[in-house]
Amino acid sequence: MSALTPPTPVAAAKRAVIGKSLRFHWSLSQAGNTFRRAVCVDELSGQLPFEAQLELCQCADRQGIDSLLMAIGFTRPDPILLSTCLGRKTRSVKFMVACRPGLISPAAFVQQINTLSLLVDGRVHVNLVGGHTPRELQYYGDWLPREERYARLDEFLAVCRAFWDADSHEVNFAGHYYQIVDGRLPTPFSTNGVRRPEIYLGGNSEESAELAIRHADCLWRFAEPPASLADKIAPVIQAGTEVGLLVSLIARPTRDEAVQAAYDLVAQFGETARDAQRSFERHTDAAAFQSTYALCRECPSDWATGTLWTGAVPVLGAPAIALVGSAREIAGALLEYKEIGVTQFLFTGWPDLDEMTFFGREVLPLVRAREALTAGALEVAP
Amino acid sequence: MTAPLRFHWRLIQGGDLEGTIGPERLSSATALPEIAAQIAFCREAEQSGIDSVLVDVSTGKPDPMVLGMALAASSERLKFMVAHRPGLMSPALFVQQVNTFSTLADGRITLNMVAGHSLAEQMTYGDDIPHDARYERMREYMAICARFWSAEGPVNFSGQHYRIQESCLKTPFVAPDRSAPEVYVGGGSTNARETASVLADCWLRFADTPENIAGETAAMRAAGVEVGLRLSCFVRPTRSEAVAAARHLLKGPSVDRRRSSEASFVKASDSKSLQQTYSLGEREWLTPCLWAGAVRALGATTVALIGTPDEVAEGIMNFKDIGVSQFIFHGWPKWEEMRRFGKYVIPLVRTLEQRQNESYAMVHS
Repeated sequence: MSALTPPTPVAAAKRAVIGKSLRFHWSLSQAGNTFRRAVCVDELSGQLPFEAQLELCQCADRQGIDSLLMAIGFTRPDPILLSTCLGRKTRSVKFMVACRPGLISPAAFVQQINTLSLLVDGRVHVNLVGGHTPRELQYYGDWLPREERYARLDEFLAVCRAFWDADSHEVNFAGHYYQIVDGRLPTPFSTNGVRRPEIYLGGNSEESAELAIRHADCLWRFAEPPASLADKIAPVIQAGTEVGLLVSLIARPTRDEAVQAAYDLVAQFGETARDAQRSFERHTDAAAFQSTYALCRECPSDWATGTLWTGAVPVLGAPAIALVGSAREIAGALLEYKEIGVTQFLFTGWPDLDEMTFFGREVLPLVRAREALTAGALEVAP
Repeated sequence: MTAPLRFHWRLIQGGDLEGTIGPERLSSATALPEIAAQIAFCREAEQSGIDSVLVDVSTGKPDPMVLGMALAASSERLKFMVAHRPGLMSPALFVQQVNTFSTLADGRITLNMVAGHSLAEQMTYGDDIPHDARYERMREYMAICARFWSAEGPVNFSGQHYRIQESCLKTPFVAPDRSAPEVYVGGGSTNARETASVLADCWLRFADTPENIAGETAAMRAAGVEVGLRLSCFVRPTRSEAVAAARHLLKGPSVDRRRSSEASFVKASDSKSLQQTYSLGEREWLTPCLWAGAVRALGATTVALIGTPDEVAEGIMNFKDIGVSQFIFHGWPKWEEMRRFGKYVIPLVRTLEQRQNESYAMVHS
């Protein structure tokens, strides 16, 4: 490409991630209850087996997983307290704590996150979510319509950032949703100079992308084929915010085994699981969930690409869109996403423990080897 | 027959660890958890016969729910009395945090609900509700919590401050002997007492003489609510050593500054009980073993039982006689005072209680 032609956004996005290593996260939400997504939310238990959760965290410690997503919702334990207990019993894995702004004041949230961080050596990220189902938000007394949820999230993050960046200054904020007068939280995020957690923000909508550019380090989206994704994420990456993908994994020694595992996975579910998903789809107002359901409908073969499989979405929901294949194929698919600027991934698997172990042992070394080759090629290039 | 008294201790926080004097208000020294020392303190509390440790709430301290959770993960029997201010989170999220705590620590959480003591401090958190409305909101908040803990079906609530619809939370409160956490409410105003009498298991107040608190205590007991005192103690082998230890508190170089900062703190506060207790500080001694000498420099919780183990045990029984059933203590240095209290005072109290129960049984046989 000539230096005189301005690069396309996609080319610029690609260039922005050269030299970065991909980072991998895992969701804790199914630990101890592998097929929880096949169950209607009203039937779920929120008392989950701690030992199974701890086992997955310890596995993540060993397998080079960056962090565990600690989801939030009425069917789950509180993510900050659960992270406190798991964090006290692990060494290196981080905890990506989900937060919904409508439920807590930003000052109280920062104080809880900073306290957690000091108790677990700073191993904390935060994942801001706008909420996906109005009915559930009303369980918590949050009645804001969707458009306003974004405006509030914007203010929430502005206040959080103000507290984290405040150093010894007092925080003053006069917004529509939040007013802070001479705010000061002397409990810092860390004692080693790191002032704030990495901030992730989830969503497929335009508003999410704008908010992520303004406040976040990384925008989470549900997976879709690289070809359709590239243009959507390029402006975000160009603006200096990373993009990550939420996707499930079915990786096996051979492609045949992986495909068989995928078909075996869905074969065990019947109408109950389909009903649970139909019910969720009816009640959600989140663009990310809606666009994954739409992709699934447009894709009669269940294969959106050679490796991206939508077959489990009707029974296990939007987060069950999956990369399916051999270790080599999965590594290739991940690097194909890296080509368009995606730098982080958040996985789930069935069961998570086996999938994570296989990923760490078989897939991750291939990814790192390919990354090293690319980096080497860059170094010798004139 | 009466139930045995229960003793709680305030958790050591950063600035309390080494000095003989409590931390200054909002000093940054208190803002860091000192987890290794606090875990050791909690183990000592378990061995000393302490029921729970109070984990304070303030903008100047680590979050008490999160800190309490970490300490619970490293202890076995001790409970954590987590202080909480309504107004900073949805009551449903709060219940979810409490329930999560209970499932991860065998139900070893109790709650100390505080309405807040200063509008200016609340504003630093983004909460702008004045004193009386704070109590109204706290009552709504606690009523919602109580519904979640008692609910068979979905929770509905429509009030001035909260509106919740068809709500359910899938993580239950789990404890060997309870389906809801024990709730403490503090405060001296009529509003605070009314809130406690309707929604709490135990009303907490700062100490005054048994005489002065007998009326309010009896009223609260009649409403079926226990009464607990927040105070300090100085136990030493002789009375004169105990008095000297207490007076030593006032010898620190920063005491004059503390006097003026305490005066302006109380003046800025809209808390009735802080103001009432501040006025007790006119006198050094409220009774021969109840000391108010440090109140005007170091705050309301420094009203102290002072003396030999026998004298302090007797002072405690005098409170028991008028209906007080729980105590939250401080001491200086906290750690050693708690150890002495557990070793020397608690056994004496248990003996006196047993004697009392035996004579009660004789009279009623």
